[in-house]
Amino acid sequence: MGVTEQGLLERDKDTMTLNMGPQHPSTHGVFRVILEMDGEIVRTAEPDIGFLHTGIEKTAENKRYVHCIPMTDRLDYLSPPQNNLAFCLTVERLLGLQELPARADYLRVIMCELGRIGSHLVWLGTHALDIGAMTVFLYAWREREMILDLNEMISGVRMMTSYIRIGGVAQDATPQWLDGVRKFVDHVPAKIDEYESLLTNNPIWLDRTRGIGTMTKEEAMNWSMSGPVLRAAGLDWDWRKKRPYSRYDDFKFDVPTQDHGDIYDRYLVRVEEMRQSREIIKQALDNLPDGPYKIEDNKVSLPPRETLHTSMESLIHHFKLVSDGVKVPRGSAYVPTEGARGEVGFYIVSDGSNTPYRMKLRAPSFMGIPGMCKMMEGAFIADVVAIIGSIDIVMGEVDR
Amino acid sequence: MTNEAIKEQLEATFGSAITHSEMTSHGELILHVALEQFLAVMEDLKQNKDFDYLSQITGVDYLEQDREPRFDVVYELYSLTKDRHIRIHVGLPEDEPTIPSVYHLWRGADFPERELYDMFGFTVTGHPNMKRLIMPEGWEGHPLLKDYPLTVEEVAFSFNPDHKSELIKTQEDVKADPWA
Repeated sequence: MGVTEQGLLERDKDTMTLNMGPQHPSTHGVFRVILEMDGEIVRTAEPDIGFLHTGIEKTAENKRYVHCIPMTDRLDYLSPPQNNLAFCLTVERLLGLQELPARADYLRVIMCELGRIGSHLVWLGTHALDIGAMTVFLYAWREREMILDLNEMISGVRMMTSYIRIGGVAQDATPQWLDGVRKFVDHVPAKIDEYESLLTNNPIWLDRTRGIGTMTKEEAMNWSMSGPVLRAAGLDWDWRKKRPYSRYDDFKFDVPTQDHGDIYDRYLVRVEEMRQSREIIKQALDNLPDGPYKIEDNKVSLPPRETLHTSMESLIHHFKLVSDGVKVPRGSAYVPTEGARGEVGFYIVSDGSNTPYRMKLRAPSFMGIPGMCKMMEGAFIADVVAIIGSIDIVMGEVDR
Repeated sequence: MTNEAIKEQLEATFGSAITHSEMTSHGELILHVALEQFLAVMEDLKQNKDFDYLSQITGVDYLEQDREPRFDVVYELYSLTKDRHIRIHVGLPEDEPTIPSVYHLWRGADFPERELYDMFGFTVTGHPNMKRLIMPEGWEGHPLLKDYPLTVEEVAFSFNPDHKSELIKTQEDVKADPWA
């Protein structure tokens, strides 16, 4: 890039080139941005990404569909169930599966909403820490710990759950787990109030967030921002409402919106989203149907473990699925879903074999970075960190 | 305006440039557009059909499927104000994969178009800042092409002249022996 040769040592320019990152704690990963500074004001901001590139899209072209699911966890590693869900929904659409058992959908919804709360807690803690409110960070981590414990109980893993599978979920929820979720649901509203009491009317917080990083509705749409950023700018758009998947239309919940589109509004939208997610989990727990937790079609999902010793058919299906995988009919599909950061979806092209011919992730953080750098232009240097935090970027899904 | 009406209007305006169209049961309209008329179709969609949101741009390399043309570029467009969803496929020939930029219509095209160049080597004309995005500058090749070797371990010096090629695994090698 030659920043030092051209910028830092060049004294006869009016502006100064400032390199921020890639190793900078507030970039939430390894993200580099080259700022052209005029005193304290940012003139231009140029993003530089790719430091975490692991070639997941290329790797997926050589792995079976089932093997792709654990890789999707590692894209947006703060809310893995939503990536699993987006991937599985797309494969299911290619397979032509119209409807899943109700219990499978409800368990998926519970996991996704827990993931959303967990992801927003990480965002809240780190965003507040970036701006200087250190206490919230520790409190947010405390509640997130409960979610990670729940993840461990149901899937055996704390973060990369891979719980949602093609045709259902990995295993049924135990009564202990459901009790744990209920405890969490009862516990969390008071804690969200606690975070709000620390931040919402805090004059320092208001000074640092109000009127900063503003983006109008039209700008946000033009720059392909999605999720909370779009809703904070005043557009009522949520894929869970607009194209309900996984029986989201069974639940009553609001889509919070705000009007100004600044950092403070994004904060309000996300905090309210946590409350709404909690409502969805509560309704799902109250109405959780009995029945199978995955589809019965053994060409797609594994037969129950117990039947392997008694049924030849099960053994054959088990062997075929494990050694050969699911064969997905030729075609291409894209299913948009509402992740914690915005629209998450996989565009998958299948050639009729058991590996995706092409898998492309639509990552909200990736699409949001040019818009984020647009917001930085004209802002103070101290606000750059606040703006990065308000988009809630996860570099895993940016670099893929 | 329904998807049906959009399709009819586009077919009336652009005629044979719309080579294929289909409607899914999920409210999506899928159109295959000829490269020559591509930019005009996109401008019409943005200006007259309220498609105000570009969700993503995907490149696909159909090398192993013997398809003509070899490449496909897929645009996912929405109208968030009118609740519409459209997918545009454009075929790109192998010998000259060049596509005009839509950055002037949707600013969100910035990163995905750079990614098209980075991962597939397509030339995107009219993009203001066209350079590699994810791979480092000076990287050779375009990783998502199907003929790009899957693993390459470079050997600076070897007594065995065949050694260097042994370390290169292509996609076919891996497909032929997945347990290796």
